[in-house]
Amino acid sequence: MRGIMRTERYALPALLLAMLCLAGLFDETVLSLYVLFALAAIVTVGVSLLMGQAGQVSLGQGAFYACGAYTAGVLTTQGAPGLVGFIAAPFAAAALAFVIGVPLLLLRGHHLAFATLAAHLIFLSVVGEMTITGGDVGLQGIPRLRVGGFQFDSVLSYAYLSSFALLVVVILARNILASRPGRGLRALSSSEIAAASSGVPVGLYKLAVFALSAAFAGLAGGIYAFYMGYLAPGSFPVLLSIEYVVMAAIGGLGTIAGGLIGSAVVLLLVHALSRLATMSGMPSTAPVILSYAVYAVLLMAAVLFLPGGIMSAITPAWERIFRRTRQ
Amino acid sequence: MSAFLSYVLHGIAMGSSFALVASGLIIIYRVTRVVNLAQGTFAVFAAFTTSTLLGAGLPHGAAELLAVLVAGILGLLAGLVAVGKRGTSPQASLIATLGVAIFCYALEILIWGDQPRSFPGLAGSFELSGLELPKQYVVVVAATILVFALLEGFFEWTYAGKALTACASNPYAATLVGIGVVRMSLFGFMLGGALGGVAGVLLAPLSPMSYDSDLSLFVNGFASAILAGLKRPVFALVGGLIIGMAEALVAGYAKASYQSALALLLTLAILVVQGARRPVLQATEE
Repeated sequence: MRGIMRTERYALPALLLAMLCLAGLFDETVLSLYVLFALAAIVTVGVSLLMGQAGQVSLGQGAFYACGAYTAGVLTTQGAPGLVGFIAAPFAAAALAFVIGVPLLLLRGHHLAFATLAAHLIFLSVVGEMTITGGDVGLQGIPRLRVGGFQFDSVLSYAYLSSFALLVVVILARNILASRPGRGLRALSSSEIAAASSGVPVGLYKLAVFALSAAFAGLAGGIYAFYMGYLAPGSFPVLLSIEYVVMAAIGGLGTIAGGLIGSAVVLLLVHALSRLATMSGMPSTAPVILSYAVYAVLLMAAVLFLPGGIMSAITPAWERIFRRTRQ
Repeated sequence: MSAFLSYVLHGIAMGSSFALVASGLIIIYRVTRVVNLAQGTFAVFAAFTTSTLLGAGLPHGAAELLAVLVAGILGLLAGLVAVGKRGTSPQASLIATLGVAIFCYALEILIWGDQPRSFPGLAGSFELSGLELPKQYVVVVAATILVFALLEGFFEWTYAGKALTACASNPYAATLVGIGVVRMSLFGFMLGGALGGVAGVLLAPLSPMSYDSDLSLFVNGFASAILAGLKRPVFALVGGLIIGMAEALVAGYAKASYQSALALLLTLAILVVQGARRPVLQATEE
């Protein structure tokens, strides 16, 4: 465990800084894929923290993503400055998580998984009914984000924005894992009674990590709203929530690097397969079939044969290299 | 008044199929402690299989039975993925059943395309003092009652049924008297698959199904199972009828889009009340 922590301390911020610099060198297609990766990674780091460290299953993370997106979208279409919407997005998602977390976190395991899935579905049907969110038709004409005199217009600017957000999220998550609350979370995931009797405020910590992971999702959602300029309930299906669980599980639950690797691997694989599927001679349903099949096979394989995810496979090798360079 | 009665009748028919989905969920949960997220998928798969078999010229009855059998085999395969590997934790099994459900999406779109499908059931309707009672409703309710009676008999009078109950109540003691717990878990999944298949076959003539209909079936089935306390399959009949009628009345008098949200809220409330009441020690042992 300490080994993983050490690699994360240096390697991840360095990796992110490198990506931040490289972002200017790629063309639009790669950049748009990169933005999707960064947004997914922000959410997945939160899911990984929640599921891997605190042991709470959430199949409703997409609802918090949607909540952040709609907060940013509704605020700016109602005339608020973009920066207000951008900042309000993670807070609104965290507030929603806090409110629904109070009753839901009384539940454990399967029941919590179902309850978060149900929360996602209820959220979608509420958004579909409200007029301020544009109902089922969707919310159109969200202005681009404007901070001071700078307008985020190009894909490149969003690549930088999402990289910056990802960096903030990774540093936050890393610091929390290394802190006393982080140890408390790991303790309560194995036994709530033991943790509580050692003085860990179990209920409070569970609620806090739930709200934090929701805030991450809300932050990514806010950026997504400005990036796309259009939101509809259909953009946030239940499968989105499941996608984040798949990414976290494949990368390695509980590790930050796993969240990044998982989202990158899944997105690249789905992207490569969808390019394959849209080639001539393939049926029109091929992209959907392939992406479902990829998610399913990756999920089952990761859960059954690689419970620690890709991280558990590469960490030993990584550590060997590190030790050698230090000697 | 007749509007009210027709809503209730619709609710009973829908509720019966929810109850069938729920009974499968309960049987699997009791033996394996896994909530099978692929339970709705069995229904959709069976419904699609029936429509293909009917199209191929098989008579009603034979097509449905064969489809239920296919759903049972699918259930067995899902069980192999979820609990077939030794040392799979319940949380891992839960995620694995999710994988099965998504894989079936790919399979269903590959075989049947992404458009909703339906097939004709029993056409026509009875006239009861001005009230129209579609014959398919009667078929649904009668088949549900028959299946639940068979289930009761199975658990009450057969060795396999008793072995299933034994595994559910104490897997260790069951092993000691020579019952293979893994084999019974797989059998539970197969039975659950077949029950889901029955639900799908009965429901498809009432409303067309698409590949992602499994989500609403699972949600309603799980809501019914929660109402039944996840204990005895027969209680699921009551749970299913309550959910079905509540949804039909909400859809009739308020708005159709609220019906599933209402069922979900109801289930969440029950779950939270149960969760809050349960002692911590017992809860962490699960």
